[in-house]
Formats: sequence, structure tokens, C-alpha cells
Amino acid sequence: MTGGHSMSEQRDCHGDAAAYALGALEPEEVEEFRRHLASCVVCRDELAAFQQVADSLPMSASQYEAPRGLRRRVVRAVRAQQAAASERPARALRSPIPIRQLAIAAAAVVVVGLALVAGIELGSGGSGTRLIPAVIGSADVRLSGGHGELIVHRLAPPPPGQIYQLWLQHGHQSPSPTCTLFSVTSAGGADVGLPGDLHGVRAVLVTAEPAGGTQVPTHAPVIEAQLT
Amino acid sequence: MQRVHEGEVRAFEVIFDRHAGVAFSLAYRMCGRRAMAEDIVQDAFLSLWRTGARYDRVRGSVRAWVLSVVHNRAIDAFRRDVVSDTRQVPDEGIAERLAAPELTETEVERRDDVRQVRKALVQLPAEQRRVIELAYFGGFTHSQIAEMLQLPSGTVKGRMRLGLAKLRLALGDQAEVVL
Repeated sequence: MTGGHSMSEQRDCHGDAAAYALGALEPEEVEEFRRHLASCVVCRDELAAFQQVADSLPMSASQYEAPRGLRRRVVRAVRAQQAAASERPARALRSPIPIRQLAIAAAAVVVVGLALVAGIELGSGGSGTRLIPAVIGSADVRLSGGHGELIVHRLAPPPPGQIYQLWLQHGHQSPSPTCTLFSVTSAGGADVGLPGDLHGVRAVLVTAEPAGGTQVPTHAPVIEAQLT
Repeated sequence: MQRVHEGEVRAFEVIFDRHAGVAFSLAYRMCGRRAMAEDIVQDAFLSLWRTGARYDRVRGSVRAWVLSVVHNRAIDAFRRDVVSDTRQVPDEGIAERLAAPELTETEVERRDDVRQVRKALVQLPAEQRRVIELAYFGGFTHSQIAEMLQLPSGTVKGRMRLGLAKLRLALGDQAEVVL
């Protein structure tokens, strides 16, 4: 590290940029290195160079065409998701179990519960990013203007054959399904964009659902973030 | 990508047709199983469809972005121990065990960029190439590689760094061009 940098840059980071670019850091080192990058221009430059090289490595592998069946499956899934998304506004969503009951019933099976310390005001003129700390669990909601991201840490992967689905709850209505389906990394992390405009959204919920998602939640939420 | 973000399926199909081959090749190189490779690529492209808005052209080409998603998904699969018994499949010999995918090797090898990456990799000292391949294609962490090769972790990271630095010199601007 160069002498003119802050204390956070005193860490011996040489070598980490290469390992990071290759995806070879341990999960806990990844977070540490990312934090370090924010203040170390040397590592940022080194990583940019190494990342470009690492990105070229796939070209050293034997090259094949993608199987035709794969294309059919992917395009079919995309069309199904698009159709489901276009149907939703016209469809009244009915949850067989009110979400509040779900949340209570979920107490025994909740993997991560999330509650927020303070309400968040989503003003139309809002700008900047606010990081909302969780009281329990490990997930954060980052809000910028009327948009946001859900950052999940250490969440167990969904059960086999299932995927996590994001739901938005407006006021006291039943939660609306979104097209956002996600899994988590081996470290239990995920960075999930919250779809659309969040004005009027009272809560963000995550449930484990069958692959492809559902119109109605079939499981108790594993994450429930109150936004207001 | 903007049109993909706007939900245009046809635009998504164009992106798929353009990059699915190299994406599948990477996944197959990493996991050595056709079915698993297909699952990884499918998962990656569906993720692209859902989160295409996060693509930032300033940060690299669409292909680099697609490949990084495939790479991360494969590593996630490895670290869930789903395919741990099939990792480290050497590139040589895959074609013999690959029953269905259409081999386009001859065609692709004509491309200078592919040849150049391969040549640069082959010219690396064997110990540097090994740690790079174990990390990138095998999805192993530096600690796992250190244990495997019975080396200090710092040595493994040092070899990664030296190897990538040499590749960078060998490829020059080509690293950008191939993507």
C-alpha cells in the first residue's frame, strides 16, 4: 500500500485482488476486501486489470454451442414470467392465509426474521441511499429515491425445488407477488433489486416458493421488512 | 440490454443466442456434467432476465457480465457441494464424454482471440497455471488450493497474482477484445 492512504489501507492486500478476481477468496474475506476497495486506489486499479484478464479465461475452454433444448426451456420460462407479470395488475390477489397470521405461524420455522428499527419515509423527492439496520436477522434495505434493494446475509438456501420470491405489501392489502425470484450464495448472501416504485409499499416480504414462483404465498415469510 | 430490461423477449433471445454458447462452455468446463451445466446457464440467463437493469455497460461487455453470472452460479453450486465430485475435470477429454452438445471447436479455434488466450495460459509456469485453473474453473478458494497442494496460502495467492500479471502482459489489450 502506498504511504498516503488511510489506516484501512495498511492491511497487506497484495495478492487479494488476484484471488478476488478469480473468485478464490473465502466468503468472509470477500466482504473485507470489498470494504477495503472503497478506500484503496491501488487495489482498485490492480483489480480492474486482473478482472479483465480473469474475464478472458472462459475463452480458453473448449467451445460448444448451447444445447437446443436449453434455449427452449429458458425462453419458455421467460415468456411464462412475462405473462404472469402482465396478468397481475388485473388479478385480485387472495392469500389463503392473511400474511400477519402467516408471520405468527412462522415463528417456529423462520430462518431469518427482519424488523426495522424505524419507519422509512419514501418521499418523492428522496435522494441518496439510506442503509436501514435490522434489529434481528441479517438483511438490510437500501433505499434511494423511490427505489430500493434488499441485501441479505447468511440466509439458508431455499429447500430443494424451491426458490425465494419477493412480495410487496401496499398498506393493509395482501402482499402482491413480484417477478423477483432469487437464491442465495453459499455464504447466504443475495443482493435483490426491489422492483418498481416503492411509494406506498408498507412491507417487503420474502417467502420460499416452488421454482417459478407463485401468485399466492404458500409459505410463511422468512424475511419481513417494514418500510413505514 | 435496455430492451431486455423493458421486458422485450425478442431482445432477450438475441442476447441468449449471442452468448449462450460461451456460457454453456464455461459451465461445462467448470462442472463437467451436461445437465448441471445446463441448469447453471438456465439459472444465469433467468437471473439476467429478472435483473437486467443491473447491467452497467461502463463496467464491461454484456458477454463479460453474462459469464461472470455463470461463473458465480457455478461456484455457488460447487460450494453447496452439489458437484464436488466432478470438479477439476481437465479440459482434455471432455469432448469424448460429451454426448449431445454440438462441438464447434474447429470453428471457434479460428478465432484469434481464443487462440491467444489459450497460448498465453499455456505459456505460464505450470504452478501458476494450476492455481489459476483450480481457482477459476474449479471454484476452489485459496485455502482449499493451499491444502490440496500443501502450500502456504500466501504462496498460492502469490502464484495467482504473478500468473494473472503475466497473462495481462501476454494478452495486452486483447483481454478486452475477446469479450
